[in-house]
Amino acid sequence: MPGLRAALPAALLLLSSFPPAAAEQYPWPQAPGVMHPLNPNSREAAWAARTVLHYTNYRTASPSLLWVLHHVEKATVKVGGAITLGDIKYYLQFTIRDYIHEKHVGSCSATVLYLKNSPPQVRAKCVHARDKKQIQEADYRLYKYLQSQKKPITANSIPDNHGNIDRDHLSLLALAKVGSSDIMWKKSTEHVGYFLAQVKVVKQQIRTDDAVEFNFIVLLHKMPTQEMVACNMNVVWTLNDPIRVKYTCAPDNHELEDGSGQDSGSAAGTSHETKGNF
Amino acid sequence: MITIEDENFLLRDGEQRCRRTYNTYSALEEICVSKAFRKTVCKAHCPPDQIHFPFSFQLDFWLNPSTPALPVDVRIPAHSLQAVKIFLESHGIEYSILIEDLQVVLDREKQDIVASQQMERSSSTFNYGTYHSLASIYQELDNLASEYGNIVSKIQIGESYEKRPLYALKIASDYGNDPSITSLLNNLDIFLLPVANPDGYEFTHTTNRMWRKTRSKNSGSLCIGVDPNRNWDAGFGGKNKIYLCSLFVPTGPGASSNPCSDSYRGPRANSEVEVQSVVNFIKDHGNIQAFLTLHSYSQLLMYPYGYKCTPPADNAELNTIGKAAANSIRSLYGTTYTVGSICSTIYQASGGSIDWSYDYGIKYSFAFELRDTGRYGFLLPAAQIIPTAEETWLGLKTIMEYVRDNPY
Repeated sequence: MPGLRAALPAALLLLSSFPPAAAEQYPWPQAPGVMHPLNPNSREAAWAARTVLHYTNYRTASPSLLWVLHHVEKATVKVGGAITLGDIKYYLQFTIRDYIHEKHVGSCSATVLYLKNSPPQVRAKCVHARDKKQIQEADYRLYKYLQSQKKPITANSIPDNHGNIDRDHLSLLALAKVGSSDIMWKKSTEHVGYFLAQVKVVKQQIRTDDAVEFNFIVLLHKMPTQEMVACNMNVVWTLNDPIRVKYTCAPDNHELEDGSGQDSGSAAGTSHETKGNF
Repeated sequence: MITIEDENFLLRDGEQRCRRTYNTYSALEEICVSKAFRKTVCKAHCPPDQIHFPFSFQLDFWLNPSTPALPVDVRIPAHSLQAVKIFLESHGIEYSILIEDLQVVLDREKQDIVASQQMERSSSTFNYGTYHSLASIYQELDNLASEYGNIVSKIQIGESYEKRPLYALKIASDYGNDPSITSLLNNLDIFLLPVANPDGYEFTHTTNRMWRKTRSKNSGSLCIGVDPNRNWDAGFGGKNKIYLCSLFVPTGPGASSNPCSDSYRGPRANSEVEVQSVVNFIKDHGNIQAFLTLHSYSQLLMYPYGYKCTPPADNAELNTIGKAAANSIRSLYGTTYTVGSICSTIYQASGGSIDWSYDYGIKYSFAFELRDTGRYGFLLPAAQIIPTAEETWLGLKTIMEYVRDNPY
């Protein structure tokens, strides 16, 4: 293909004009369209796997079924064919552990496509031995319990400063994890990743309809900058629909990503300004 | 003063990017950077409704002010409470009270700590399986020095910014009970600095659990503190501040030049007395064979470099030692550590302690990131303190034995 041929020499020229420090960014040659094996211990592989899990944790929308990364077994990477440097696709195989009950394990096969100006595109297939019916029942029990509250549930600091989590707060943490997984997935890039560090504040919003609604302030630990990003997050949960998340995060003081506006968003693409008291 | 953030990204040919940087709280500047270095257009615009809070309020921002639309968490000292309320109301700023009386919350927490402290008058009853206040830790250092005076002595290597002592334990001479430890201590003295940032540590107990930095004041900024692990003289800062609009600053990555950042590197290398004290100690003492530093979290065992991604001269040897130490750690509870250079395992970051110590000539320089891998992160439950310590000790011992057997 003539177009592609013309593109290649330009790509090489581009590379040679970079000082060595910049070229070190990618430890694989940047020939487009070729798959390169990646050290499964590398940070890129681990962060790509976590991006997958943020996405699946959000999309599954089940406080009773949340996963964390255990170990990356295999990773390959492919640079996009159009030589747009933001177009990088990871192919991963990794093992997972349950977020709440560590003994449950599983594994995933996934791809992550990091794009320039949109959230990463994730495709994943995960297998595990958790009982589907049990999970549904647990979610249902939690949902019913929260929905039946007349007085709004509130709490601070989950886990507390010494890592303790009250049994009563475990489900609130799980709900926060589902919601903040949406935030973390959307904000993840090839070089920036997040952990949910703490739920600072949680306050239920009693509704007249069937849904369960909570307002959270969550702290996200951002890597590699080590910033603590505080986000106001509103979560609306109905059992059989996708969970609805709206959020606004305090912009970081050290942004690696291209910042062109305050960080905010939701699936619907609007920012929700929190009013009222916490 | 205009500062620019360090970046690791590549532009397409001819592309321009705009980045936001913060100039304290009084201006938000957008700096446009061109890949070709030829064109730099810097324009400034201030966001609307900037409000300057009088210094006399002595406000302590928990969630930093950033843009007008976002809530801010502030701790207000009792003496300015009334004035702050009036100030906020006169500016039409809505507020709500998260915690009525912080002291009550802290007192409740303190009760627990005091209760266990009362058991700890001698080191034989010190509860290693719980988190301790700074005072309690310092008390225990005295206990250890007094009860094991034949091998342990306490020294002071300096003072923190807020004038807290920086204590280290010197562990030396013949131990006698355990042949492997005796053999270590016959050949090496071990200096242990249990709290490298006492001001920050105290602050995590009294005010903000997630505080990472020192507590030094930054001139021209409301924000306090410097990341002590970006402040060492290793690839510190940009080579040349005139590279204001340069993309490819070869040194100084992964460390912020913004005082409000959690990874603020400080105005210059060794600006933090906590860092300078350790540097002085190492230089004055001389003949330091190894430098080992413990952090959290991620379960990593790393060697230099962080400020650049090229391997150190002793890469192969350090990797071998690291792998052996990781195996030792895993042998106890199955905890797996990833071994590698800082740059390849975690991130490229300048001003790190083991980069300095290695370039200074201390070949065996390692940094540990302890448990866990993100589930609890910084808020590791106390029940994991002792298991973490037990397994980490095996890793440290492996390294120390190697150091003992391979002097240079």
